[in-house]
Amino acid sequence: MELAHVWGILFISLHAMVPITLAAIGETIEESAGLFNIGLEGILLLSALTGALGAEASGSATIGLLAGMGTGALIGLLFGVINTYLKGSQLITGVGINLFAFGFVALLLILLGAPGFHSVPRDAQIQLIPLGVGSLSPLVFVTVILAIAVWWLLNRTQLGLKIKAVGENPAAADVAGIRVNALRVGTAIAAGMLAGLAGAYLSVDWFGAVTKEITAGRGFIALATVVFSGLNPLLALLGGFIFGFFDGFATWISTYPGIKKIIPWQFVAMAPYVVTLLVVAGAIGRVRFPKGLGVPYLRE
Amino acid sequence: MAEQTAISPRRAVQNQVLLEARGISKGFPGVWEHLILDHIDFDVRAGEVHSLLGENGAGKTVIANILSGYYGKTAGEIRVKGKAVSFTSPREGLAHGIAMVHQELMLVPAFTVAQNVMVGLKAPNLSFHLQQVEKKLDELTAHYGLQVDPRARVEDLSAGEQQRVEILKVLFHEPEVLLLDEPTSLLTPQEADQLFVVLRGMADEGKGIVFITHKMREVFAVSDRVTVLKLGKMQGTCYISETTEDELTRRTFGETVPDYMERPPVKFKENALEVQHLVPKGLEDKANTAGLSFALHKGEILGLAGVAGNGQSELIECITGLRPAAKGEILILDRNMTDCLPRAFIELGVAHIPERRREVGMVEQMFVAENVVLKDYRTPPFSNHTVLNHKEITRHTEAIVTRFNALVPDLWKTECRILSGGNIQRLILGRETWRKPPVIIASHPTEGLDAKAIRHTWELFLELRENGSGILLISEDLDEIMSLSDRIGVIFESAIVGMVEGKGADREQLGHWMAGGHSPAATA
Repeated sequence: MELAHVWGILFISLHAMVPITLAAIGETIEESAGLFNIGLEGILLLSALTGALGAEASGSATIGLLAGMGTGALIGLLFGVINTYLKGSQLITGVGINLFAFGFVALLLILLGAPGFHSVPRDAQIQLIPLGVGSLSPLVFVTVILAIAVWWLLNRTQLGLKIKAVGENPAAADVAGIRVNALRVGTAIAAGMLAGLAGAYLSVDWFGAVTKEITAGRGFIALATVVFSGLNPLLALLGGFIFGFFDGFATWISTYPGIKKIIPWQFVAMAPYVVTLLVVAGAIGRVRFPKGLGVPYLRE
Repeated sequence: MAEQTAISPRRAVQNQVLLEARGISKGFPGVWEHLILDHIDFDVRAGEVHSLLGENGAGKTVIANILSGYYGKTAGEIRVKGKAVSFTSPREGLAHGIAMVHQELMLVPAFTVAQNVMVGLKAPNLSFHLQQVEKKLDELTAHYGLQVDPRARVEDLSAGEQQRVEILKVLFHEPEVLLLDEPTSLLTPQEADQLFVVLRGMADEGKGIVFITHKMREVFAVSDRVTVLKLGKMQGTCYISETTEDELTRRTFGETVPDYMERPPVKFKENALEVQHLVPKGLEDKANTAGLSFALHKGEILGLAGVAGNGQSELIECITGLRPAAKGEILILDRNMTDCLPRAFIELGVAHIPERRREVGMVEQMFVAENVVLKDYRTPPFSNHTVLNHKEITRHTEAIVTRFNALVPDLWKTECRILSGGNIQRLILGRETWRKPPVIIASHPTEGLDAKAIRHTWELFLELRENGSGILLISEDLDEIMSLSDRIGVIFESAIVGMVEGKGADREQLGHWMAGGHSPAATA
C-alpha cells in the first residue's frame, strides 16, 4: 500500500466523521438535559434536502448550511415543546420525525422531477481546503472545534451545570429556580441545529447531491455513538472517527483493484455498522445516563 | 387559641409579617370533593420560628409547597410583606425571598456539594466559579455551624449531611422566609438539636422560619408560635409560651395509643413459619455460621426488634422469596420453601408489608385500583385468568379504600406516586390482609399513619391473629413491638440473640440485646 492510500483513507475517514459527530454532540446536549431524540436520522435527511435546495436557490453553500440548520432547529423546537410542555412521548415523537422525513423527502424528490437523485450545482458546494496531500472540508475543523466547545460548555460553565441538573433531577433544578421545560426546549433546538448542519453537510459538501437514502443510517449511528461516548463530546468525536474510518476503509477497499474481486463490496460496506454495533455493545452497562432521561417533568 | 397581642420578649423586637396565607384551599382536580387544604390562614413574621404541627396527611407539606410556589392553589391569597402575589414556580417564590427545603432531598447525587449550590445561582451562563462557591460555602458552614465538605460528592454523604447541603443551598439565595419540611426526619436527635441552634440563629438575624414537623418535642425545642393542622383544617395558632404539650397533643391527634394490647393466649400449636440456621445470600461473611433460627406459630404475633442493618431486610427478603439463602431452610406451613420464587410464597399465602413501600410495595406509576389487585389480578373474581374484570376490581378497591380510610381522589385515574406515604401504607395493608393470609411479614407496618389509623391497624392485626394468622412484626419502633407482640425476639448481626414474652417485656433488657449484649436468659 502506498502512502497516498493512507492519506486517502484518512481523509475519507475525517469526512465521514463529520455528520456522525455533529449529530452525536447535539444529541449529547439534549440527552444531558433529559431529552432523547431518536429522530436524528429524520432531521439529517430533511436538512440534507433543505440544505441542497437552499444552496441551489441562493448559489451559496453557506446559505445551504444555514437552511439545514434552520430546518433542524425547527424540528428540534417542535420535538422539545411536545416533550416538555405538552408531556408527549419522546420515543413516539422521534419515530414520527423519522417516518415523516422518509416519506416527505422521497415525495419532494419526485416532485422536483428527479426521482431518487438531485444534485447541487458545483459552485454552490463548499470549497475544500487544499492541503498538499489532498483537500479537506472546512467542516472537519468546525466539527473538532464544536466537539471541544460542547465539552467545555457541559463541564466548565454555569449553563452546562444547569443542563445536567435538569437531566439528573428536574425537581431539584425546578426548586433551585431553573425553568426546566424552557431549558430542555433550548437544548432540543441546539441539538436540532447541529443535526441540521450534519444533514446539510451531506448534500452541500460531501456528496454534492441529495438522494432519499443519503443518510444511510448515520442518524442511528450517531445515537449509538452517544451511548458509546457516555455523553462525553470528546469521546463522541473519537466514536465518529472510528465509524468514519471503517466507512472510508470500506469505500477504499470496494474500489481497490484486486480486493474488489475477492470480497463482495456489499460485505465490506457492512463493516462500519457491524463495528458500531460491537463497540456500543461493549459500552452498554458501563455508561451512566442521566436519571431523568426520557421522562417528562411533572411538578404535581 | 392565644391572642396575638400578648407580648413575649422575642417578638417585641421584630414583628413585620413577611409571608401571609389567607384562606388557602387546595383540592384535587375534578372528581374528588375532599379538600386537602380547607381555608388555611397562616403567617410568619421576621425573627420567629413558626412551627406547623400535624400528623401525616394533615396538609403541612402541601401548604408549604403552595407558599413556595411549587404547587398551585385552588383558592385563597398569598401576601408577601402585605402585597398580594401569585407564584407559578419555585423560581418566582425565590425571587420574592421565599425558599423551601423539601422533605425529599432535592439534590443531584452525581454533583458535588458546591456544584449543587451553583446550579441555582443567578450567574452568567458561560461563567464558572466553582472555587468561589466552595470558598463561600466554607464561610457559610463556619458561620451557621453546618459542617459539610463543599468538595464532596453528594451521593457519598450521609443523610444528615445531605440535609445540611439542602439548607446551605437555599441560604445562598439569601431568603427572608425559609420553609423546612420535616427537616429532622433523617437526622439523629443530636443532629436535630444542632439544626435547631442553626434555625434560632437565622431567626435572630431577622429571617422568618417555618418549621414543619409531627414531633411534639421539636415544636417546644425551637418555635415561637405553632399552628396545628388536622386533615387539611386549621386547629388554631398560638404562642408556644401559652400552650402545653397536652393541649397540642389533643389538638393534633385527638387520641393516644395504648401501651399493651390485651388479648387471649395463643390458641394454635402449629408453625406458620420456621427458619432454621438461615444465612441469607450476601451475608455469608457477616453472619455467624449457626445462622438465624426461630419459629412463628399460627395465631401469634412475633415481634422482631433490632437496630436497622442487622440483617432484618435480608431475612425478610429470604422469607418472601426475594433473596436466595446461602445456608439453612425456610419452612412455611411445614412446607420447605427454601429458594422458591416470590410467586410461590404469595400463592401459599405469605403476605408482605414491605419497609420501602414506594419502591417495593407499589408500582408508583400505576393507578390505585391496579396497585390494589397487584397480587390478585391473576385469579377470579378479578380476572378469568386472561381478561381483567374491571367492575369487580373497582368494587374490591372501593371496599379496601373505605375500610382503611385511604384518601384517594380516583381509583382509576390517580397514580400512586402522588399519594402520601400514609395513604400508600393503607392501601398496602388492605391488599395484604384482606384474604386473611396464614403468614404476614410486616415491616414497620404503621410508619406514617396517624394515631387513629395505628390503632385500627393494631386491632386488625389482633383480629387476624385470632383467625390464625402468624404475624412477624419487624420494627425499629420498640413501642409498637411491645404493644403488639406475643413474643419479642431481638436480632443482632443476623442472629436472634434474645427472646422474651411480649407482656411485661423489659425495655432495658431489649435495648441491651439490641446493642449486642448477650444474655444467658435468651431462649426461644
